[in-house]
Amino acid sequence: MNMHATILRTPAEAALIEAFAERCSDLPGNESVVIRRDEAMEVLKQGLPTRRVESWHYTDMRRLLSSVPTYDAHGHAEVLAPVLDGSVVLPMLVGAASGAAPALEGVTFRPVRDKLADGSLAQALVPQGDDDAIGALNAAFVRDGWFVDIADGVMVERPIELQNVQGGGQAHVRLPVRVGNGVKATIVERQTGAGAGFVTSVANLVVGDDSDVLYVIVQEQPETATHLGQFNAWIGKNAKLTLFVMNAGGKLVRQEVRVVAKGEGSDFQLRGVNLLAGDTHTDLTMVLDHTVPHTGSRELVRNVVTGKARGVFQGRINVHQIAQKTDAKMACNTLLLSDDAEFSTKPELEIFADDVACGHGATVTEIDRNHLFYLMARGIDEKTARGLLVEAFVASVIEELEDETIVEALEARLHQWFAEHG
Amino acid sequence: MPAVQETIEQVRRIDVDQYKYGFETVIEVDKAPKGLSEDTIRLISAKKDEPEWMLEWRLQAYRRWLTLEEPTWARVEYPKIDFQDIHYYAAPKNHAGPKSLDEVDPELLRVYEKLGIPLKEQEILAGVKKPGHETEADGVLSDLANDNVYKSGRVAVDAVFDSVSVVTTFKDELAKAGVIFCSISEAIREHPELVRKYLGSVVPITDNFYATLNSAVFTDGSFVFVPKGVRCPMELSTYFRINEKDTGQFERTLIIAEEGSYVSYLEGCTAPQRDENQLHAAVVELIALDDAEIKYSTVQNWYPGDAQGKGGIYNFVTKRGDCRGDRSKISWTQVETGSAITWKYPSCILRGDDSRGEFYSIAVSNGYQQVDSGTKMIHLGKNTSSRIISKGIAAGFSQNTYRGQVSAHRKATNARNFTNCDSLLIGNNCGAHTVPYMEAKNATAQFEHEATTSKISEDQKFYVMQRGIPEEEAVALIVNGFVKDVIQELPMEFAVEAQKLIGISLEGSVG
Amino acid sequence: MLEIKNLHARIADTGVEIIRGLNLTVKAGEVAAIMGPNGSGKSTLSYILAGREDYEVTEGDVLYNGESVLEMDPAERAAAGIFLAFQYPLEIPGVATMEFLKVALNAQRKARGEEPLKVPELLKRVKEAAGSLDIEMGMLKRPLNVGFSGGEKKRAEILQMKLLQPKLCVLDETDSGLDIDALKIVAEGVNALRSPDRAMVVITHYQRLLEYIVPDTVHVLYRGQVVRSGDKTLASELEANGYAAIVEEAA
Repeated sequence: MNMHATILRTPAEAALIEAFAERCSDLPGNESVVIRRDEAMEVLKQGLPTRRVESWHYTDMRRLLSSVPTYDAHGHAEVLAPVLDGSVVLPMLVGAASGAAPALEGVTFRPVRDKLADGSLAQALVPQGDDDAIGALNAAFVRDGWFVDIADGVMVERPIELQNVQGGGQAHVRLPVRVGNGVKATIVERQTGAGAGFVTSVANLVVGDDSDVLYVIVQEQPETATHLGQFNAWIGKNAKLTLFVMNAGGKLVRQEVRVVAKGEGSDFQLRGVNLLAGDTHTDLTMVLDHTVPHTGSRELVRNVVTGKARGVFQGRINVHQIAQKTDAKMACNTLLLSDDAEFSTKPELEIFADDVACGHGATVTEIDRNHLFYLMARGIDEKTARGLLVEAFVASVIEELEDETIVEALEARLHQWFAEHG
Repeated sequence: MPAVQETIEQVRRIDVDQYKYGFETVIEVDKAPKGLSEDTIRLISAKKDEPEWMLEWRLQAYRRWLTLEEPTWARVEYPKIDFQDIHYYAAPKNHAGPKSLDEVDPELLRVYEKLGIPLKEQEILAGVKKPGHETEADGVLSDLANDNVYKSGRVAVDAVFDSVSVVTTFKDELAKAGVIFCSISEAIREHPELVRKYLGSVVPITDNFYATLNSAVFTDGSFVFVPKGVRCPMELSTYFRINEKDTGQFERTLIIAEEGSYVSYLEGCTAPQRDENQLHAAVVELIALDDAEIKYSTVQNWYPGDAQGKGGIYNFVTKRGDCRGDRSKISWTQVETGSAITWKYPSCILRGDDSRGEFYSIAVSNGYQQVDSGTKMIHLGKNTSSRIISKGIAAGFSQNTYRGQVSAHRKATNARNFTNCDSLLIGNNCGAHTVPYMEAKNATAQFEHEATTSKISEDQKFYVMQRGIPEEEAVALIVNGFVKDVIQELPMEFAVEAQKLIGISLEGSVG
Repeated sequence: MLEIKNLHARIADTGVEIIRGLNLTVKAGEVAAIMGPNGSGKSTLSYILAGREDYEVTEGDVLYNGESVLEMDPAERAAAGIFLAFQYPLEIPGVATMEFLKVALNAQRKARGEEPLKVPELLKRVKEAAGSLDIEMGMLKRPLNVGFSGGEKKRAEILQMKLLQPKLCVLDETDSGLDIDALKIVAEGVNALRSPDRAMVVITHYQRLLEYIVPDTVHVLYRGQVVRSGDKTLASELEANGYAAIVEEAA
């Protein structure tokens, strides 16, 4: 890179800078938040990441993000029925927390704009490194979101759905979730809407000791929207976090997952399903740090790609020097269903401790001919047989979630996607 | 297996961080002054008596190089290289082109004798002792133990000393078969039509920082041309030796296998033990036409630096094979034990339909060595297949990275890849990293990748020791088993050498 | 030949005590069976005899030919003549069985100051030993224990024992996972090694094996101690009545 050359900004980069100049005085936040926003903007002024930035190798934002919509004060969005029946819904409509905080025993909810106004969220706005474009974008523009605080020892009875519904224009939300010790909870992060929106969403989840959390991200943006999501989690001692990610929409999507196993005996499970169609680009990128001894993790990501869709999975497992006895396994399997579909995988292991058992596997395959033959031999026509096998390929990931009502709800969405795109 | 025993004995005899090839030879040399400029390049070209087109090619590369920056994506760290503080040409004095063996400076011959490289054809013809096998029965045992059978004792050698090729053996006999085996300098003068046609056709002068530098300043290397339908009658090999201080070695190797031909090529290298780092930036280009096969094996044993990480060779190498013809095959096998820094990705462009690429690698790092090595398998043609087996062993304070790319382009119908990369960690101050890139742009592609990282299991070690095998031998035995899949891809004479080297490289890492 | 005196041992990692004051004497020429319910410490005892580092001896001693072996590493004990036939033999990928046999045999010879065995002699011995165990030479080309069936693994263990000619053989659950034909072959192999200057410790959960390898003495292990000793009739008694009676008695 030539330091002396003037930076030629892309239309998207210019639009972001312009939007910030226009909007910054209207965004909530005390003085320390304003400082963070300005700092984040300085990072963005260096330009969006290109493929030369290793962590963005397959998602060249500078090239892919062709335009950014302006703020649309008149955008429209409505609260939707939750993914899981009986959930407590926390709506965010066109980027703003909507309605009063619901009542749920042992759980406190607060709009994020309040926490920006009093500055208590300022520290969390610092981007995580030079390549954290999503963190920086969100820090600069974040307007609202929901803060969730679950007290120690609470078995949360109903699922909590953080429902972010965009209505075109821009929407930037933050979802800080604090889970105390000895908690059991299910949280759904829903990313959807109807417009050609530009959405950033950063969730920060702290899981206390001995807790058991299931966090489900369902991303079903329309094929015109840009969705940049980031999920950060820190897992305490003997705690378990299961993260389920389903990407089934969006024009340009990047969902980052950054997890730190920081308590001994902690366990992280990632189950990911990418259902990619149309002329879209979807990137699921995970960085997992094992920082203490005796932690475990399993990641299973399955991708079905059709149309002209391009998919990316990057998964990096870092095992720190003191993290002996780490047991980490990652698998990524892809089915390409059309001639123009593409998928790139980069599963990485970075290992500094010797007494570990780590591994990854990745495959790109066609549908198993033997399976296909078997079904057809039972009288099922080829198209139906293929459909069944492809759906089963991803359904098996969902079925690994133990709760049957959750499995059913997610399978219903899967089925719907296949009905539309299969 | 004899090799295991030998490994162990070798390990016992050697002190910590002793590099047996670390001696330096005092030979009168003709050296270019330090520094890189168009004048340096003109000097090199003039010394080599090159035609004008070659000089132009070099200058074009040099001008390009001035616009490039050193790549930083590899997982290696080193102080900035001062490219003006290097001699770009060093040759033993009175060296004017290739000579017959009788004319070669006896001091030089002694160097190669000491390195164990056979240069005297008569001796070789007289029948060298088959390595590894003490007796006939030992051979039977070896065979029983699923070892390679020793095939032929004859290897033709091109010996490159600093910047020049000092001798090439068996040239006449090879010529009878139509095979051209000579130094690249000689090829530029004697076979310009072949060199012009193929040089830079696999690794263009614009390829990357180090390859472009090499294109500008390469001094020597080997040239192989195997004509249509010829199966090369013996193994070909080049032996690289860096001797002079503050000298960079920039060799260039070009191998062309015409339709239906076959050649197996071996490469070995060593350098004296010095406190300063020395640069080695080579380019190797392989071209396989229809139905041709090239097998390229490397045992890389450049000086790795001392136990404190001082000194050692910086090895920045661009190796690429082009399966240009249908049904062609290129196979890379490498055993990497040396160098302070290794930056090396022998790759295959699978351009021809039904072509096949293979990469078998063992990378051993100890002390403060840094290895970032792997391959690229670029599937372009139909029904192409590739196979990658990589075994990384990290010990001491070293960092060992596998970096590999497999991609299937739009038209690469039925591309197939299988990748297996396993890493072994010995001790808790080293790192093992696996960075594969898989890119599928064709729905009929089938890629399979698996990777594991672990240490030698205590259970396995206990089991082996319970049979009376002491700890260090037990570890050597298990490691040799770990790398077996790759070792058996090597020609026998290299396999024995490689096993010894691995043992020596890991010495001191146990307990 | 083997004398275990008031042995106490625990798992090094967790500190859990497994062997709690175990006493046992086995004379040269004797075949001693160690029986006991699951979790009584049978396998742990075999590991301690062979020198596994995961166990820490906190009290007592293990004497072999009158000398303590506790300071010796596994390879030294093996060279001194202690052999453990593993319940679950480990797989060693890439190392051909034949190659392993040669390395092991010569390592032991070297430790004893003997010359390495000449290859024809080695081959001869291996062929002899393999033949009587119904092991084909083809199996010896394969990497040690990799992809071997349960029966092949156990036969390979006995093959190693025959070749290495140890003085003290410890057989840990050698009968587990064997069908009756394989069991007979293995037992014959073991019986062929019985000799006045060799002692054997046969660890088993069931009496079945002892019908084929008839022991001189039987010792019942429970909670890390020998709670009862007797002759071979004790094994039949256990088979008929189970461990419960003895266990109650001990408790």
